[in-house]
Amino acid sequence: MAAGVIAFFVLATVSVASALGVVLFRNPVYSMLSLILNLLSLAFFFLMLEAIFVAAIQVLIYAGAVMVLFLFVVTMLTPSGGGISGPDRLRWQWGAGIGLGIILAGGLIIALLNGSIAEGAKAAGMNGLAQAVDHFGNTEAFGQALFHGFSFPFELTGVLLVVAVLGAVVMSRRFARE
Amino acid sequence: MQVSAYLIVSALLFTIGAVGVLVRRNPLVMFMSIELMLNAVNLSFMAFAHFLNSVDGWMFVFLVLTVAAAEVVVGLAIIVSIFRSRHEIDVDDLTMLKG
Repeated sequence: MAAGVIAFFVLATVSVASALGVVLFRNPVYSMLSLILNLLSLAFFFLMLEAIFVAAIQVLIYAGAVMVLFLFVVTMLTPSGGGISGPDRLRWQWGAGIGLGIILAGGLIIALLNGSIAEGAKAAGMNGLAQAVDHFGNTEAFGQALFHGFSFPFELTGVLLVVAVLGAVVMSRRFARE
Repeated sequence: MQVSAYLIVSALLFTIGAVGVLVRRNPLVMFMSIELMLNAVNLSFMAFAHFLNSVDGWMFVFLVLTVAAAEVVVGLAIIVSIFRSRHEIDVDDLTMLKG
């Protein structure tokens, strides 16, 4: 068996197990650490898909910056008992959730196994990813695509970040009347 | 590996995230489940980018990453301000928008 196949199955196991950990751990801090493991395993998936730059920003920004912010808030808001507040009021909630999840997973997997990629869907020419990576290199191919075809969405991203920062500042301000 | 293998992993991760949003009552864990779903979609974007030889998937992953960061910032600010006014966070108790 090829090394790539073994690596794929190891990574798939790690990512699914850590995703289950996010949902099943009772203490939110453990869920958080499990989510970081899941994000790192996805970064390794991206490496297997030959997207070095995206794997790097996945680790630096997502598993690094965003998750550190998340971890601060989780540790700040989690009571020392582990964050269990009272008995479940909806007894059927877990059963219903898992049942709906099985339906969703079954539907998605049936759709994926019966679907197929249309003939001629592989892009070529200017948009060819492999050619661009060969010609420019990985990061340069990303930058070329971002600033040529996707410059308007990139600008909108800046607007979105400004709005998010302003919203967070306004929302977390202590008001004088309290 | 075929593209469908990556898509099945992505579908499993998405389902686990959706079930997490349905069954957990701590808004922080619900948030983490939303992150799981976003990342599952990122994985399928990356798989399609690789197998269709198109750079568009990378761009979508970049945009999803930015939107997720903005969403985390605003969502955590909301959760912190709820915690400040009632000192507990349980989505079953949050039945009114008024603080």
